[in-house]
Amino acid sequence: MPSVEYDDSKPSWADQVEEEGDEGTLPSPKETIKGNIKTVTEYKIDEDGRKCKIVRTFKIETRKASKAVARRKNWKKFGNSEFDPPGPNVATTTVSDDVFMTFVSNKEDLNTQDQDEDPMNKLKGQKIVSCRICKGDHWTTRCPYKDTLGPMQKELAEQLGLSTGDKEKTSEPEPAQPAQSKTGKYVPPSLRDGGTRRGESMQPNRRADDNATIRVTNLSEDTRETDLQELFRPFGSISRIYLAKDKNTGQSKGFAFISFHRREDAARAIAGVSGFGYDHLILNVEWAKPSNN
Amino acid sequence: MRPILLQGHERSITQIKYNREGDLLFSVAKDTVVNVWYSVNGERLGTYNGHTGAVWCVDVDWDTKNVLTGSADNTCRLWDCQTGKQLAQLKTSSAVRTCGFDFSGNIIMFSTDKQMGYQCFLNYFDLRDPQQIEDNQPYVSVPCSESKITSAVWGPLGEFVIAGHENGEINQFSAKSGEVLKKVKEHTKQINDIQTSVDLTMVITASKDNTAKLFDSTSLDHIKTFKTERPVNSAAISPIMDHVVMGGGQEAMEVTTTSTRIGKFEARFFHAAYEEEFGRVKGHFGPINCVAFHPDGKSYSSGGEDGYVRIHYFDPQYFEFEFEG
Repeated sequence: MPSVEYDDSKPSWADQVEEEGDEGTLPSPKETIKGNIKTVTEYKIDEDGRKCKIVRTFKIETRKASKAVARRKNWKKFGNSEFDPPGPNVATTTVSDDVFMTFVSNKEDLNTQDQDEDPMNKLKGQKIVSCRICKGDHWTTRCPYKDTLGPMQKELAEQLGLSTGDKEKTSEPEPAQPAQSKTGKYVPPSLRDGGTRRGESMQPNRRADDNATIRVTNLSEDTRETDLQELFRPFGSISRIYLAKDKNTGQSKGFAFISFHRREDAARAIAGVSGFGYDHLILNVEWAKPSNN
Repeated sequence: MRPILLQGHERSITQIKYNREGDLLFSVAKDTVVNVWYSVNGERLGTYNGHTGAVWCVDVDWDTKNVLTGSADNTCRLWDCQTGKQLAQLKTSSAVRTCGFDFSGNIIMFSTDKQMGYQCFLNYFDLRDPQQIEDNQPYVSVPCSESKITSAVWGPLGEFVIAGHENGEINQFSAKSGEVLKKVKEHTKQINDIQTSVDLTMVITASKDNTAKLFDSTSLDHIKTFKTERPVNSAAISPIMDHVVMGGGQEAMEVTTTSTRIGKFEARFFHAAYEEEFGRVKGHFGPINCVAFHPDGKSYSSGGEDGYVRIHYFDPQYFEFEFEG
């Protein structure tokens, strides 16, 4: 750091009370040098008529420099600074707040790229969709045998239905459903599976979800959903990730909710990630409080 | 790091420059004052008073004796560095946009704007011949009818000036005859700033087309490109590391209509060889208009549209940081 450092400390209330007695006269400024620390104490009256005590602390440093530089250091000030005392003038020079260089490591970028590729690689081996007609790896409507095999199967099914009779239908309502869906008629969720789940509302499910939800705070601004997915996937399957983002900038607001399918996974995630250093910040992970609405 | 904030200007900073040893920092702004500071603690050494318009450019010679400034008051002035006294005043017919001493400190160049019906000129004066100053008669004056010069620096050995133009062209103008030695056009928009590396072998250009480019200063071969998503106002090459610092941001007229959080007013550090960004430093409230590395490479300064100059001394982390390509 450069040789200047000063902090303006606020006047304590005790000083103010003490000075209230002698209005108008200000104590003369004091300057003390102790080792390499110089302390300047000044008094002044601010806009509201109150007296202020200003204490500035300077660090005096001795540096070696080339002759030319040393000679220049002793030049007389000129222009608008002509009457400035030696040392930095507070009117023109201040030390501002700490800033840090944020390092952009492209390792992170690479990781997210890998991650994007990963799921596709995984899925390559297994069938995502299977055709109802030929059991092939494509959608039913795209089946090349749609026109040949399809009607045949329908006929077969009808024949079977006729031959096996009503017995099967009563004992097992399951086959009724595919038949329904084939007709293209909409069936409300409550009536699906033969209406056994009638009256069941979405609410309990939702609450179960809340129970396995954790709140992650102190995330860095640059966090993305994919980062969270990567971070929490090892603990178990995730049902939902909500990352609070700024409307304008799209940057993270620093907190997120993560819902797991199982509560044990959520508990393990809390134990594992709380206090974990991520992106120069220390994460805070806890159970999410049930939402009020 | 705790930057030192220099508040010597009332309007946006136009250029900052270190002297050769780096102990002094010169700053000019759109107000009329030229400031000089001790870079070590931010103490103001003095001001060079006299200009009556925005000051666009400043330069200091090799042994820190003389200071040269160019201003929109249609003058280029020569100052005594130590006392702040004006030594000479060269009148022009339009604003002086760029100026510079050659390595010897004997020859100066400055360019004027295409303005008020006047053409853009690049002028060379020899300070050893007092007659030239007295008569205000340059020994070479090059008219640039095509596109005006927006930034210029002296090339190696004082043989030519490398100038960036409003249309993105880069030209080498001979200091002897004024003829164009080389011409390249790698940028598509105005070149805001040109700075040399410490040994003058390379120059970096900062352009409004969102890129900064590194060139060989003699052959003008294009070496590297550094891409951003905002216009680049200034770029500088580190004297000790393979690093480049760039300052920019959206144009001043758009600042009031954008949120500061998406303003991207950071100074951005790129690796010179990999052309990739590795670090950012926040601080300014507006676009950064100029950046400069201390000649020892251990600190850098930036001047912004907000009127402040900030001197940053790097933390040890900066020197320990290893770029993973």
